[in-house]
This record gives sequence, structure tokens and C-alpha cells, in this order.
Amino acid sequence: MSAIDPSIAEQLAQDLPPADFRRIIETFEDDLGRLAVQLEAAAVAGNWDGYQRAAHSLAGAAAAVGAVPLEKAARVAMDPRSPHPPAVVVPVIRDCAVAALRELAALAARSPGA
Amino acid sequence: MSGATGRVLLVEDTPTQAEVAKAHLRDLGHEIRAVETATEALEVARSWDPDAILLDLELPDFSGLEVLKTLRAEGSETAVIVITANASMNTAVEVMRAGATDFLPKPYPKAKLVFTLQNAMEKRALVIEKRALESELQAARALTSRQGFMGFIGASPAMQAVYRTIENVAASRANIFITGESGTGKELAAEAVHKASPRAGKPFVALNCGAIPRDLLESEIFGHVKGAFTGATETRLGAAKQADGGTLFLDEIGEMPLEMQVKLLRFVQTGSFQPVGGSRPEKVDVRFVCATNRDPLAEVEAGRFREDLYYRLYVVPIELPPLRARGQDVLLIARAFLTQFSREERKRFRSFTPEAEGAILAYPWPGNVRQLQNVVRNVVVLHEGERVEAAMLPATLLRAGPRAAPAPAAIPTAIPTALAEPAMPAAEPAPAAWQPPPEPAPAPSAEPAGIEIMPLAEMERRLILAALDQTGQDVPRAASLLEINPSTIYRKLQSWRGAKQRVTA
Repeated sequence: MSAIDPSIAEQLAQDLPPADFRRIIETFEDDLGRLAVQLEAAAVAGNWDGYQRAAHSLAGAAAAVGAVPLEKAARVAMDPRSPHPPAVVVPVIRDCAVAALRELAALAARSPGA
Repeated sequence: MSGATGRVLLVEDTPTQAEVAKAHLRDLGHEIRAVETATEALEVARSWDPDAILLDLELPDFSGLEVLKTLRAEGSETAVIVITANASMNTAVEVMRAGATDFLPKPYPKAKLVFTLQNAMEKRALVIEKRALESELQAARALTSRQGFMGFIGASPAMQAVYRTIENVAASRANIFITGESGTGKELAAEAVHKASPRAGKPFVALNCGAIPRDLLESEIFGHVKGAFTGATETRLGAAKQADGGTLFLDEIGEMPLEMQVKLLRFVQTGSFQPVGGSRPEKVDVRFVCATNRDPLAEVEAGRFREDLYYRLYVVPIELPPLRARGQDVLLIARAFLTQFSREERKRFRSFTPEAEGAILAYPWPGNVRQLQNVVRNVVVLHEGERVEAAMLPATLLRAGPRAAPAPAAIPTAIPTALAEPAMPAAEPAPAAWQPPPEPAPAPSAEPAGIEIMPLAEMERRLILAALDQTGQDVPRAASLLEINPSTIYRKLQSWRGAKQRVTA
């Protein structure tokens, strides 16, 4: 399964100048780095509010660039009724994030003007 | 799409989402500000008055829905497009009920965002245009229906009586005597009498007896012939001749010196007068309309106004009520001024908030319509936005408690109200912007420290001289600062000079 939804990410790449598209990917990368740290720290500390907030922001960032599997995993983390503990969800999120970044970078490299 | 540009506030706490939105909007020409919290969103929405807000629902401090509800409760008409991920139909219904202009699920392509934003901004522009048209229509109706009459705005019973009197007497030749506090519209009433009369096609000549030096008054009214006195290098027609066939309005008739009153009486009785330095009388057909802010009968009793002249002029009295006795009229007038001044100053103000209207209603308006006019113009000039907030009004209005029950329409007091008000405490620095006069002096125990207590007349003298100093001896500007007629300053200066001469004589 692809780490990004091409209909969303490619639409972005088509709609925007390459520089803007690259800036969005860089912003997404920054968001992922910061939010992944916050998510893991909150999980370790048992800080449920912090864990949910970080997961919410991750879901939003992922949705913006079409990283659908990452968004779904983050929403599992956000859901208080979810049966999956952080120890299970956080590694999944990490893997989805890495895959999404890799595919986005490839898309950016293919976009005109790259 | 019209391609109209405007101010867009982006409320989004996720940097990637914010970056996507900004990238989509970048080439549309809008001025964009971005914030990340609900608190910041409210602050910027209030201070910057954006045309549209792109509002995320899930924000770190509180929800975007609360932001939307708060803004709508405050009367904001900004277009709000709610943007959120994984939104349900219930959420969409809820935000639309709360006053959202539109709803946009994430993720969205650029075309959809642009289309939605443009639609929302056009919808908002139509709302504003509709409101402006309604306001203008209301003002126009006020001028043609019983919400207004011949330039007056007001639907109160007191003003209905004024309109009826003007209509009933306009066609007759009877002289009119208008009384009312400063700023109640005495000249407007005089003009209304003239316009509603068969003399409407002839001149309406207004003369302020209090603003003309005593020595020149006769010449101003009756004219003079060349060489009549030093400086009379040309024969000059007076107001009486200029008003032939029409209406002669003598404002502040109570300020006319007694010796001049004798000459006016003869003119009123015979319709003829003799220009200064002239050798033969001239006859004209003039209708007299006079006005004063004093109690004319009290002036007669005090010997300052001739009784015979009083009875010649005081044929049909028209008493103009003070603004504080006109109930909701104050809001009709304030709204009409707001529409007028917003158009003149190219501002976007359309209405007052309920709090601002409450403050306007509660204030007693000692300077009447003229003071209200100054306050509204001041607000329009100094502020931005679509609605006048209470905080934009001068502090004195906000400090004023609920006003007393409307005073019965009584003969006005002998002292002009603006001067009867206490002066600005000396301890307070002069405000940069115009401020209405303060409320009547509080009880001694409530007085702020540092106010030098002195006779009111002395305080009045100091204040007038200070205003003259501040304006470089420019009497009209000083009068404007003090919210009194320039003639009042001339009169005071004359009386002080007279007192000084008597002391030194």
C-alpha cells in the first residue's frame, strides 16, 4: 500500500509552483520530526492529553499532503476508545511517517522544475 | 469570479496545513495573516477586521466553533469558512447553524479553496451592500416620512408635535418664535418653516444676532449707504432687503441690544426700515422667524428684551425638545450620521453594537444633536471596522449612568446648556481627540482630588481663554472645542471687557 494518496499529493504538486510544493514537504518534515518526539515523550510519560494533541497535529499534517496511512494511524492514537496502546501505535506511526516522506521526496523530485 | 481581493485570516495550528493554505492563496492578491490559536484568532479578528476567516475547528486552546460563535455574538459579519478534517454531516450542520459562511473538508484542492473563499467574500460584500442600501433607504424614509421631516430626523412624539406645528403655520404670514437648547436644530426648524411656506422660492436669510458686534448689527440687518460711517465705502444691502419676499431668520434674538430692539420693533410693525446713513425708508415683505436658547419671557421680565417686541415676534412658538427628551430618536440620528460620515470618510462602518447603542441612549447629550454629530464623526474618523463598538465612544459617554426620565418639554433655561455644564477638571490633560463635556459635577465626596474649586463663572472664563490660547485666538475653533456658538465667546469677551472698563473707570 502506498504511503501517500497520489490524488491528493499529485494534485498539490500540480496546483503549486515547485518551490511552494517543496516548502510544504519541508514543513511537513519539520512537523513530523517535532510531533513524533512529542508523541513518544507523551507516551513514555503517560501524558494522555499531550499524546492526543500530538496525534491530532500529526493527523492534520498528514492529511494536508495526502499521507493517508499516517493520518489513519494518528487518528487511532487520537481515539480514546482505541484498543491499541501507544506502545503498538507509535512504531506504526513512525514507519508510516518515514514511508510518506520517502514518497513525497520522490514526487518532489519528479515535479517540473525540480 | 470577480477577482476581488481582501484581508484573509488563516486560523490553523498545524504548520503543514497552514503552509498548504498559504501556498494556495499566495497568488490571489489577498492580504493574509495566520494565527495558530483560538485566542489569537479572536484578537486579530477584532482588531484587523478581516473580510474572511479560514477557521480550523480543532485548535489548541479552545475550539474554532467557539471562535465562530463569539464573533457572531459580537456582530461580526466577516465571512467564516470552517475547515476541518474528518468532518461529519453533523459538524457541518452545527457550524453552519453557528453562522459559518461555508464549510470545507480537508484535504481540499486549490480550486475548491479559491472558489469557496471567493464565494464567501462575494456573499459578504453583498451583505454589506444590502445593509448600506437599507441604511440609506431608512435615512431617506426618515427624511420623507414621519421618522423625519424637512431635514429633521426623529419619530418621537415631541418631534411629531414640532412637525405638525411647522406644517400648520408654514402657509400663514405669522411670525414664528423658536426656542430650544443649543444644538437642537433651531435654524433647521426656521428653514423648514421657510421651505414649507409659499415663500420657499424666495430667499431665506439667516442672521445670528449674537455673533455680530453690537455696532455692526444695525448695518447687517438694514444695510448702509456709502459713506454712512468710516469704512462704509460701498452701499450695502442688509439682511432685511436680501430677504424681501422670503424669510428673515434672526437667531439668538435675545442677544440683540435694547436700542436695536427698538428699530427692529418698528420694522416688524411697519415692514419698513431705513438703512444706516439712508435718508428714506424702504419697505419689504418679510416673514420673521426668531430663535433663542433662553426663556424669552424671563428675558422680558428681566428687562433685557422689550415686551412689545416679544409680543410682535412670539406669535407662534415652536419649542424644540432637547435630545435627551426624544427617546429613540437619538439612535435614528446617530445611525443617519454614521451612514453619512462613513460615506464621506470612505470608511466601512454600518451600524452600532447593542452596547454602543445602549451607551448612546443612556447619555444625556447636553450639547444635543450637534454634540452627537461630533461624537459620531470622531468615531468614524478615528476608528476602523463595520460596527461601532462601545469602546470606540468617548469615555464620558461610557461613564454616564442611565439618564434621567425624559424632561417634560419645558421652556429652556436662561443659560445656554453648554455653558451650564461644569468645566473640564483642570487636573485632567486635554484629550487628543474630541471629548464631550463631562457629566454634572459629582457630590463633593466623590470629587477627584486636585480640582480647584472656584466660582463657575471664573472656571468658564478660564476655560474659554484657554481654548482661545490653544487655538491661536481662533474664535470659531475655540467655540468648536467648547461646543458652544462662537457668538457666546464674543458675548463673553465683550462682557468681560465691559466689566474691566467699569472697574478701571
